[in-house]
Amino acid sequence: MERRTFVRLMAAAPLAPGALMERGRVIPRYRVVSGYKAAAAPGMPGPYPGTVINVRSAASLSEDGLKINAGVVREMMARGMRELTGEKADLDAWRRFITPDDVVGIKVNCGGHPWVVSSHDIVAETVRNLMAVGVRPNRIYVYERFENQMREVNYAPHLPEGVNIYAAERENRHVDHLNYDPTTYVEADFFGEDDTRSNMVRLISQTLTKIINIPNIKDHGATGVTGCLKNIAYGGFSNVARTHYKGVSHTYSFVGTLAAVEPMRSRTVLQIMDGLRGVWHGGPFARTLKYVFFPRQIWFGTDPVAMDRVLIDVVEAERKRHGAISIWNRDPQTLDFNNGGNRDQDPNTNIIIREPGHIEFAAKLGLGVHEIDKIKVREIVL
Amino acid sequence: MRPRVEKVVIFAVLVLLTGSFFAGREVPRAAAETGAESAPRFPAIYWTEGVETADRIRRAGVEPIAVPAENAAGWRGAGIKVVSVAKAELESRRKTLVPRIAGRGNVASATRRPWIDANGWMYIRRPSGRYFAELPAGRAALAAAEACVYQVDLLMKIEPGDLEAVGGVFSYFRSLPSGGALTPVADLAVIEDGSDEVGEVMNLLTRRNLLFEPLARPSAKYRINIRLGSKAYPAAEAADPSEFALKIRRQLGDEKRSLRIYGSETVFARYSAGGGVFRLQLLNYSNSQIDGLRVRLLGAGVAGARAWAHGFGEFAPETPVQADGAAEFSIPRMKMHTMIEGRLASLDRRFGHGRTLHRDR
Repeated sequence: MERRTFVRLMAAAPLAPGALMERGRVIPRYRVVSGYKAAAAPGMPGPYPGTVINVRSAASLSEDGLKINAGVVREMMARGMRELTGEKADLDAWRRFITPDDVVGIKVNCGGHPWVVSSHDIVAETVRNLMAVGVRPNRIYVYERFENQMREVNYAPHLPEGVNIYAAERENRHVDHLNYDPTTYVEADFFGEDDTRSNMVRLISQTLTKIINIPNIKDHGATGVTGCLKNIAYGGFSNVARTHYKGVSHTYSFVGTLAAVEPMRSRTVLQIMDGLRGVWHGGPFARTLKYVFFPRQIWFGTDPVAMDRVLIDVVEAERKRHGAISIWNRDPQTLDFNNGGNRDQDPNTNIIIREPGHIEFAAKLGLGVHEIDKIKVREIVL
Repeated sequence: MRPRVEKVVIFAVLVLLTGSFFAGREVPRAAAETGAESAPRFPAIYWTEGVETADRIRRAGVEPIAVPAENAAGWRGAGIKVVSVAKAELESRRKTLVPRIAGRGNVASATRRPWIDANGWMYIRRPSGRYFAELPAGRAALAAAEACVYQVDLLMKIEPGDLEAVGGVFSYFRSLPSGGALTPVADLAVIEDGSDEVGEVMNLLTRRNLLFEPLARPSAKYRINIRLGSKAYPAAEAADPSEFALKIRRQLGDEKRSLRIYGSETVFARYSAGGGVFRLQLLNYSNSQIDGLRVRLLGAGVAGARAWAHGFGEFAPETPVQADGAAEFSIPRMKMHTMIEGRLASLDRRFGHGRTLHRDR
């Protein structure tokens, strides 16, 4: 697409009332409606701002990367949690975040089926630790927005009986709203869409007391990368696909805005990045192995901004290794928003001008630390 | 001479029937000319099958039916209530679109807004018009519901297999309470010049649930009076009716709109009020059931509201909230049509032309 065409396209879209400009981007007027108050110490950024624990093990995957070694994953999880909290005993580390009385949601990511999803082994190990702390299985919810995606990944056989598998909608068709909270939402007019509300998943606002977020290391066509922030935010609200339209994305400001809505912000207490496998292009999908890589890592923290800031460098480095354009590339020449197939074929094609700056924007909302020199990454190699 | 006689007969029968289809609504005829829901009209099936189908017609509950003039006597002989329609009469009627989702203009669109063929704008524009629809299999029920919502004189040529579905729609609408004379609520006026361009503007406004009243001249009642070709609304802008509708919406301001719908872009609304009550009718143009549709009605009261949904019966609106001068509630589930009635809570003249609408009892 010609730059002139793109600029004209941008200019043609009338600004919604109350919208502001920031760094050449439109920041819509957001109306946040929530009856929930923030906790005295909100879960994000939590007790460990600016801290990322990175546990690596070459043995976590088979040599070809296709099989996960559950025993190694268990050890990685134990080491990571102890390192994050400074506790000597595994369960004491988990008790820093969870009590037996909690109702715990585990936010998984199923969009990268089959290769890059929240892995069965990490989710199962999380559940095992929650139960060891004393949380009853019927007070544990493994959740995602879309049931069809959950069915594909199929966690149930890997979890103890009684653990709830929960999806807010049958599939992404925008007809199924009963599991969203009609009184907790963010209202914004992005492109003149009729439905201007995104409602929080009812489970989050009305049932859960704590949330553990398990995203993946993934490239994303709209946000540049999708990690902690986008998984918890776009996976916790309805009607979010409306933020991308004809090559333009409002994810820059919307991801952080959603993540900061109470009670999501207060209740999301732990971030576990499943980086055993990752996808460096074509994300959030990973239908083939074409763009899949194998970091063999699991990260731990409470600060989603810090973890996602580190994530940018990992995905960017992998793209660079393959000679692909940067996720920061905003050249309209690379844009082909009418054909996702071209994006899948060519890592130098964007379908949307990506907005990795959404992570810095979230930092401004107080969700975490963005400056890379203030982020402490502690690495453990098993 | 003969056609003239038939016209007289048709008119007489129509007048007779309109009184029975939406029983209990008695309002001045003049109001009907402004689109008020006060002179009930009815859709009817135009049936070209043979008289041997009389039992099906009777069982379907769609009487009276309209039939070709040459068949009328036979049908009457079979004991079926019919309206005789001459070919010329049929051809003189305005053709309607088959209501449906006609496709998605841009599959990459984040707005999910599909292209919808609907007739509401035309029914608002010409409430006294006489219409004719030729409906392929599976499309008659929605067309019938659309005509019932707007109370227009529509003859529907349907596929025989759709007879029972249409009968179900008629039965459902007959079962709804008749809340008295109500006037459509509007937030703006469109100055009518009879042109296709203005018609397309009306179409897009209807599809965006931007409530308008067609007027011959601007009215001080409305902050926004759209006269296409004026300095404020150049005719060239209407070349992109969708953008034009968006401009109007933003001029109006979402928070000042009488009606907002959250959870679908395939549901169009008919919002009426008067005498202290409101009635909202929602038509879903998709084939999908919608669960948890959220509605915001400016000026409405949420207490005591009642609702009915085609296929589900009466229900209570869920999660009601009264705030900022508006009522909000959720429709737990709806397929093709839902109606909500309740009391108004506003003195805004949009809701009943300045009458005192809220009285404590």
